Amino acid sequence: MAMSKSTNTYNRQNWEDSDFPILCETCLGDNPYVRMTKDKYGSECKICMRPFTVFRWCPGARMRFKKTEVCQTCAKLKNVCQTCLLDLEFGLPIQVRDNALKVKDNLPRNEVNKEYYVQNLESQIKNSDGTEPLGEVGKAQAPSDLLMKLARTTPYYKRNRPHICSFWVKGECKRGEECPYRHEKPSDPDDPLSDQNIRDRYYGTNDPVADKLLRRASAMPVLTPPEDKSITTLYIGNLGEFIGESDLRDYFYQFGEIRNITIVPKQQCGFVQFTTRSSAELAAEKSFNKLIILGRRLTVRWGKSQARQSSAADGGVALPPVPGLPGALPPPPIPSTSGVNYFNIPISSTLPPPIPFYMPPPPLPSSSYTAASSSTSVLPGAEPPIPGTERPLPVYYPSQDPTRMGAVQIKPAP
Amino acid sequence: MPKVKRSRKPPPEGWELIEPTLEELEQKMREAEAEPHEGKRKVESLWPIFKIHHQKSRYVYDLFYRRKAISRELYDYCVKEGVADANLIAKWKKQGYENLCCLRCIQTRDTNFQTNCICRVPKSKLEEGKVVECIHCGCRGCSG
Repeated sequence: MAMSKSTNTYNRQNWEDSDFPILCETCLGDNPYVRMTKDKYGSECKICMRPFTVFRWCPGARMRFKKTEVCQTCAKLKNVCQTCLLDLEFGLPIQVRDNALKVKDNLPRNEVNKEYYVQNLESQIKNSDGTEPLGEVGKAQAPSDLLMKLARTTPYYKRNRPHICSFWVKGECKRGEECPYRHEKPSDPDDPLSDQNIRDRYYGTNDPVADKLLRRASAMPVLTPPEDKSITTLYIGNLGEFIGESDLRDYFYQFGEIRNITIVPKQQCGFVQFTTRSSAELAAEKSFNKLIILGRRLTVRWGKSQARQSSAADGGVALPPVPGLPGALPPPPIPSTSGVNYFNIPISSTLPPPIPFYMPPPPLPSSSYTAASSSTSVLPGAEPPIPGTERPLPVYYPSQDPTRMGAVQIKPAP
Repeated sequence: MPKVKRSRKPPPEGWELIEPTLEELEQKMREAEAEPHEGKRKVESLWPIFKIHHQKSRYVYDLFYRRKAISRELYDYCVKEGVADANLIAKWKKQGYENLCCLRCIQTRDTNFQTNCICRVPKSKLEEGKVVECIHCGCRGCSG
């Protein structure tokens, strides 16, 4: 095969010459003014063995220098970072991503087949605009729940730290303080995680990290609804400073009518109270462990029961009792399918059907989501509540409570 | 002293006063040259040479410019005989380069981003508690 650039032969293998690397946020590091060196045809791609342009940079203070390891064609084919081979959208290993998306890539491993395959891909890249991932990943469906649960939302810079000093491990490091490598105890060599290789990771076979993630996903806790059927409140934690009531309302209105949203800025948490139990259950199911708003992963738990909440007074604002009222009214009856339906009204008809899971986290592609939301038609009844009308009242009047006015609940006949 | 034969001219006055010290440094240099490289890193092997070279030049520089203990003739003689490095001393006369370790450390053409060596970064500008050791000459900071 003619490898010299000067001999121009038909069907010659193309060498990659690029101006910019394809990298994930973690590999780039936290410094916005990163300096890189570019080495044209600096080394061979660790997957396809063709020469490619190697970029090398330091991803921040006290980090090791990183360089690109695979060529851009191989990276585009799997939609991964050129350095860490983790998915560009979710930051997950290829095996996990493919498993979750039900993608089956049959990349040729044979040398000649591989060359032919890559050559075809190159021509495909030339025809496309370069915004969509190639191969099977580009054709995959909308992201699954599993990906949402496992995906990283923030960069993980610990990955860029220097390697462990092998001399120090042997007790022979003479450099002491000046040693740029880490003087730390290495992980157990019997640990499967310490035996990884780039080819297995790329092809998505026996990747110990992926195995660990998939095991973690299968063992993930589920949020069981509490016994007390009167609880319709969800606790939302890890709000941070920027997520406000409107952000929560924008997300949670899709599951049903919201009675009240309380934000506790000091604890950085909030409480979303639904008018019905079923919508609260739906919201909990749809958002537990996968709710990401404004790039923050929020924790979702069930709220405490009314009685305990009022005694502890930690949930919402303690409301002063209205003077001159008779005692508190009994709580609204619990809707249940087993109860007698006097008016033959199907319970579901009173509730707007939930519109599909939609949210705008920055690392996700909008195209896949819009496709998902357009597949199910949104009923006209599922209009979002007008934000002004749902402001929490300064004083709690039971008579103005929508559920007590019979708006949604089915009351037993008198 | 360099191994090449010195000029026929007799050394200027005062040479016998500085000769023992220079002889001692020369002896150290010979030892450093003969030292085995085993157990050293690649870059480390030249560090003692740079260090002794710096010491020799510094000795002559101090005697002439700081203490004014030797004559102009003797200084010129030392430079001519290769005892003192005139280029290095020229840098020491400039502000900010008073303690420069070696000439390689300010050779910006030799670095990727046209920068000076890490040892040229003032301690106050470096991050707290960072110990540097430059790869050219093993300098641990020569810029205040």
